Amino acid sequence: MDYKYIEQLLERYWECQTTLEEEAILRTFFRQEDVPASLLPYRQLFIEEDAMANEHLGKDFTDWMLQLVRQSGQAQPEGEASAPDGIRLEGGYVCKARRLTFMRRLRPFYRVAGLVALLLSIGNAAQKSFTQEDEAPAPQVAETVNADSLQHIIVSNPEQQSAALSSHTSDSLNALAR
Amino acid sequence: MEYISFQNTVLPLSDRLFRLALRITMNRAEAEDVVQDTLLRVWEQRSQWKQIKSLEAFAITTCRNRALDVLKRAGRNTKSLDEVDDVHSAMFNVQSSLEAREQLSLVRRLMDGLPELQRTIMLLRDIEGKTYQEIAQALGISETQVKVYLHRARTKIKEGLKIKD
Repeated sequence: MDYKYIEQLLERYWECQTTLEEEAILRTFFRQEDVPASLLPYRQLFIEEDAMANEHLGKDFTDWMLQLVRQSGQAQPEGEASAPDGIRLEGGYVCKARRLTFMRRLRPFYRVAGLVALLLSIGNAAQKSFTQEDEAPAPQVAETVNADSLQHIIVSNPEQQSAALSSHTSDSLNALAR
Repeated sequence: MEYISFQNTVLPLSDRLFRLALRITMNRAEAEDVVQDTLLRVWEQRSQWKQIKSLEAFAITTCRNRALDVLKRAGRNTKSLDEVDDVHSAMFNVQSSLEAREQLSLVRRLMDGLPELQRTIMLLRDIEGKTYQEIAQALGISETQVKVYLHRARTKIKEGLKIKD
């Protein structure tokens, strides 16, 4: 096979004399596997450039870009009125922001709310069981202790107590006992 | 009045702009930021599109300037990767650099080693298939200058590929 045409094209390519069409011919030629040894060193250039031409942004970027523009209320009239202060930063830089619905925004609090509810119900249940246990014996104990200690006070300091005070105390004691 | 939408006018440019930003910043995340910024800026200025000859050229200019700004802000060299990180010295001196670069093909290394303007012109011509006129318009230089820079770029690649043998 004669590669003179390709060699000529390549020579003109280095000299920047080829048209875009001729460069496309070169590119197509070098895409094939069997390239003569004399031209082989240059094959990698065209292959690599093909690969570079395939570098592109992901769909995420496109979606996000559309969202950004929509948020700033510029792409479509029905674009939601947004808070651009959170999106545009100084120097024209834009921070990655995502629009959230109200329920989505509350999502982090769901767990906390659940935990609080659980704690409250446990606390409630515990309180109930404790008060049920304590309810019957508690007043009896309190009464006897009160009466004992007050009697003790009265007994230990009989002289120091004024008659009025002791009568008053015993009055209240009687009232308490009743 | 004709209806213009972001999806039909500006968004289709994103991949082309991304490749440009990527070849300048050499960093995917930064390139994405540059493209996003460019698309929004171009879209915001749509009231002035009628005064622009080519929307794509305008977008390319904006994108390139944004990418160069990013490099400048990061304190990286905007002229050429050669000066900060010479391909050959890096290969012999810095182990991590050597390993990183070995994973790239020779062609990529040669292209990445070109000064930014040559690299950008080569991209616009060889990968994006732009005419000399379009490139000149986007970069704000003459067609002759475009050819001069492209010739330098292609010669370097050719020499680099020859040495390999």
